[in-house]
Amino acid sequence: MTSTALESQLVVGAILFALGMIGFLTRRNLILIVLSTELMLHGVSLNLTAFGRYHGNPQGQVFTIFVLTIAACEAGLALSLILTLYQRRKSLDVFLWGNLGEDDLPVFSGGGLPPQPKSADPNAGLPHLTPAGSAPATPVTKT
Amino acid sequence: MKWIMENGTVLIPLVLGWLAVWLLLPREKARSRVLGSLFALGALLALQVALLPPAGNFVRDAMFYLFSSAAILSGGLMITDRNPVFAALWFALSTLAVCGLFLLNSAPFLSAATIIVYAGAIIVTFLFVIMLAQQSGAANYDHRPVQPMMASVLSFVLLGALLFALQEWGGIDGKASDEAQTGQFVALDAKTNANLFSQPPNSNKTEIGSMRVLGRSLFSDYLYVVELAGTVLLIATIGAIAIAPRRSQGTL
Repeated sequence: MTSTALESQLVVGAILFALGMIGFLTRRNLILIVLSTELMLHGVSLNLTAFGRYHGNPQGQVFTIFVLTIAACEAGLALSLILTLYQRRKSLDVFLWGNLGEDDLPVFSGGGLPPQPKSADPNAGLPHLTPAGSAPATPVTKT
Repeated sequence: MKWIMENGTVLIPLVLGWLAVWLLLPREKARSRVLGSLFALGALLALQVALLPPAGNFVRDAMFYLFSSAAILSGGLMITDRNPVFAALWFALSTLAVCGLFLLNSAPFLSAATIIVYAGAIIVTFLFVIMLAQQSGAANYDHRPVQPMMASVLSFVLLGALLFALQEWGGIDGKASDEAQTGQFVALDAKTNANLFSQPPNSNKTEIGSMRVLGRSLFSDYLYVVELAGTVLLIATIGAIAIAPRRSQGTL
């Protein structure tokens, strides 16, 4: 029995990977982002089984089983995280969490390019340290 | 110009596919669905003519074309559909098509396991969450993708690099020139043992993918990795249990 050419399967795997990458980069729904990574994993699994078939050993399929395991872990963790995030903001939009960066970075709120930071600070061009940690407690003043 | 003429077999499906994806990505204005669908069909046909040559066996080739077209089309529909519920269902269809490709690669156990895990567990739970969170169908943010132009161009440049590398590589069967063959994949030596439990591999090639060979490799060569994967599953379960509940409402 002739087997399908290895290159054809690699091409299909690459296309699935690229489609998943587009979905990961463009979608704003948290759940669809996770599903797009699963599509990328499908492309990888297809490559693994094609190589296993070509070389005539079961290693490709064994690795695909491990990919499946990690995908299941990832889906469980992603779902619990998404549920937690949803309960905070009551929405699945990624941009609602665009303010998780550092304080002095611009908040990325979608649309075109991220908004440029305002350069009201005269020392904007100089290197600076990002404030880290919590602010110290204000000393209690006796009145 | 000459370079473009020479590599038209790769460039035509790439450009058509990029046009299709870019036209069909959800946006606020009306999408030109007809044009995008035509481009998508053209890309698929050009791809099959140029990059997926038939291997000789008619039934096998027909099934390969069927499954690969279904996987690619439903993957494209998944990333371009506005409604997240439909997107999840398209992903389920793509999973089924990929499982068909697994079957063609003589991996029946893997095919069944993937259907059970993905279509049976992951899709259903994701659909539950979508229905819980978005009962009114597509929300506002599903109509506005993040920088569709840059993302699609970047992904198709990556895909083009992969396809060109595959073409330059020229295949395993020796149709490439001598210089290109230095990057060939080499099969492992049969005496290579992964660990103490390894057993000599079965030389009978018709048995690949049977449960016997698969289980033998899984529990001898990759015994430690199986234990590690089980540990990762356990840790992920504990993490999910720790993350999910609402502590403010006293569920844990």
